[in-house]
Amino acid sequence: MIKTIVSILISLGLITGLSVYELYYVNDTFSFFRQAVLSLYDKTEAGQATYEDGTAVQLFWERKKRYLHIWLPHTSILEVDYQLYEAVGYLYVHDFESALPKLEVVLGMCENIPQAYRLSIENIF
Amino acid sequence: MVLVFIRSVVIFIALLIFMRLMGKRQIGEMQPYELVVTLIIADLACIPMQDTSIPLAYGLVAILAVFLLHQIVCMIDLNFEKLKTVVSGSPNVVINKNGIDDTQLKKNNLDVSDLIESLRIEGYFSLDAVDYALYEAEGTFSALPKKDYQNLQTSLPVVIVDEGKFDEKNVALTQKNRAYYLDILKEHGCNNLKRVLVMTVDGNGRVYLQKKGEKYEVFTLDWQETLW
Repeated sequence: MIKTIVSILISLGLITGLSVYELYYVNDTFSFFRQAVLSLYDKTEAGQATYEDGTAVQLFWERKKRYLHIWLPHTSILEVDYQLYEAVGYLYVHDFESALPKLEVVLGMCENIPQAYRLSIENIF
Repeated sequence: MVLVFIRSVVIFIALLIFMRLMGKRQIGEMQPYELVVTLIIADLACIPMQDTSIPLAYGLVAILAVFLLHQIVCMIDLNFEKLKTVVSGSPNVVINKNGIDDTQLKKNNLDVSDLIESLRIEGYFSLDAVDYALYEAEGTFSALPKKDYQNLQTSLPVVIVDEGKFDEKNVALTQKNRAYYLDILKEHGCNNLKRVLVMTVDGNGRVYLQKKGEKYEVFTLDWQETLW
């Protein structure tokens, strides 16, 4: 009986701990990343973004995504990769008009991805 | 993770409810919740193992959730008698001193032929060879034989009428026809075939007849020879 109760409490503790950490970590990471992409977007809109600005955001994302793979399905992360890499590619050729929609998609993903893993009825069912 | 946990809980409870609703036919020597755990755990382990796009943590949390639910149900099973009946079910007596209890059979999605099969597996070939028979909560079958049950099964009984329907193959085996058995049924106060729950006859002409909602009766037909 005691063993069962202890195992229940440990399991509950582990699940609660992991869930809270995951929510916090994913939200925090995407919030920081969104800030970085937003400033790149503003610079691109003003026609001042450089390839180096783009690679800096890319590097930031590369570092963060290593640990995001633990918490999120890899396909979600791959989508961000595609859009960001394309945007940086356009920045390399100074094609700001083409880079902007890509960065907008990344900004949208920064909001949508954490929402998809948040506790809500629509996500459960 | 919290989504994976809640989804696992929902699926576990849904499966447990459906297993309980499906009755003892679907269970074999396992408690319903044990069967649910067995069903879920294999897939939980396999999917993240094979699909590399799913984080392993998803599988681990889901397994942890199932383990947690298993422990909770185990605790209920051991400490709360009333809840235990809801979660695991209770034994159902399907044969008593009056014969077959078809209400209990139906409750578990079983019919008379399933019962006869279970009896045969246990070594009882005649329906009146046992005083009591029951399906345990986990689906296993137990029977309490009559003292002299060996004398009651000298020849293999075959089903002639099963829940209001003739078994034509067995009728032919007895070298008789429907009319012959309908007359016998009339003689025993049964004018409507649909009222017959079960009628069996063995090679010596020994009949087991039970009408729906009534006590069974056993009588011997006036056969000149032993047929099998």
